[in-house]
Amino acid sequence: MDTKCAAEPYPVIFPLECKACGRCIIACPKGVLVMSQEINERGYHYVQYTGEGCIGCANCFYMCPEPGAIEVHIPEKQ
Amino acid sequence: MVVGALYAGCDCYFGYPITPASEVLQDASDLFPKVGRRFVQAESEEAAINMVFGASVAGHRAMTASSGPGISLMQEGVSYMAGAEVPCVVVDIMRAGPGLGNIGPEQGDYNQVVKGGGHGNYRAIVLAPDSVQEMCDLTMRAFDLAFKYRMPTYVLADGVLGQMIEPLQFPQESVRPRIDTSWAVSGTPETRQNLITSIYLDFDLEEELNDRLQDKYRLVRDNEVDVEEYCLDDASLILVAYGISARIARSAVAQARREGIAAGLLRPRTLFPFPERELGRLAERPGTRFVVVEMSNGQLRDDVKLAVQCARPVTLVNRMGGNLISLDMVMDAIRETAGQEQNRG
Repeated sequence: MDTKCAAEPYPVIFPLECKACGRCIIACPKGVLVMSQEINERGYHYVQYTGEGCIGCANCFYMCPEPGAIEVHIPEKQ
Repeated sequence: MVVGALYAGCDCYFGYPITPASEVLQDASDLFPKVGRRFVQAESEEAAINMVFGASVAGHRAMTASSGPGISLMQEGVSYMAGAEVPCVVVDIMRAGPGLGNIGPEQGDYNQVVKGGGHGNYRAIVLAPDSVQEMCDLTMRAFDLAFKYRMPTYVLADGVLGQMIEPLQFPQESVRPRIDTSWAVSGTPETRQNLITSIYLDFDLEEELNDRLQDKYRLVRDNEVDVEEYCLDDASLILVAYGISARIARSAVAQARREGIAAGLLRPRTLFPFPERELGRLAERPGTRFVVVEMSNGQLRDDVKLAVQCARPVTLVNRMGGNLISLDMVMDAIRETAGQEQNRG
């Protein structure tokens, strides 16, 4: 997944761990997460980042019930 | 399961989400209110089971569903209902454990659910479906059994069954929800005399309750055992499995027969009462060997050994951690066991 430049925060989703509960999509204040049409090896759909617009609030991270399904990468201020 | 419950006259669903049981809660939240039945998402599993307790005490047909960690939280409530002789239906869609585990399928709650699970000298009836159809039918039966014997009844499934999609034939008849007022406490003049309790401070009275419960469980054992027999007539290599493992075991039996091995499958539909007599009778055949196929550390295998009184060899084919047992793995075990039999004889 192309993350453009490191100056912007961005989420990293691990498709195998996601179980498509959708809480991150509901929690995202910017609406930058969507459910994929594909399914992972365990038979669940998984969440995808639309590619831009993430503000690094990490709501998605805190809402996710599955350990290891989503991370939020927030660049340090220079 | 929700369809089966509604047709069985279940009028209260109290639950809490947990993968892979959340679909039951979700469907109940949708369907129960549509037909005028009660639905509440509780604040925790402990709250949910106590809501079930309260509704059941008033004679309602109440149920809940959860998975391993949630069932553990519910054990105090189940013990109380067993001691108070109050019926209910609890669904356990097993996932990998122990602890948080993962959301993959496993059959590791066998000991917990089949042996009682909570504190004290009690058992619960345990039904084990192996298909979507049985998830519906056995949930329906669970209510009948729970109310017939006034005891908690589990429907035990796993993460694959819990999220499986198969065709379903809806039940032919439904049970109208009605309150059984003969023993319930439902705020009416007729039930004012009734007392529902699990506290007996006098030791002898407590023992009397325990004797009553043991008598009840004997009655259940004598009357409610249910098994599926597949190719057992002339089988000398007998697979024992339930739930999703039984589907794999059935394929293995079919394959073994094609290879000329006299294999068969005994699939318990009731884990309590356990098919002790059926297994005992099979063990009396000369040269019988048992192969238990389960996704646990051998919990069903231990009960099979007990049932045959360790008189015949019982081997285990198992996976854990959320992994399914492959047909190849079962076939390897069958061929090896059959080979041993030939070498001896």
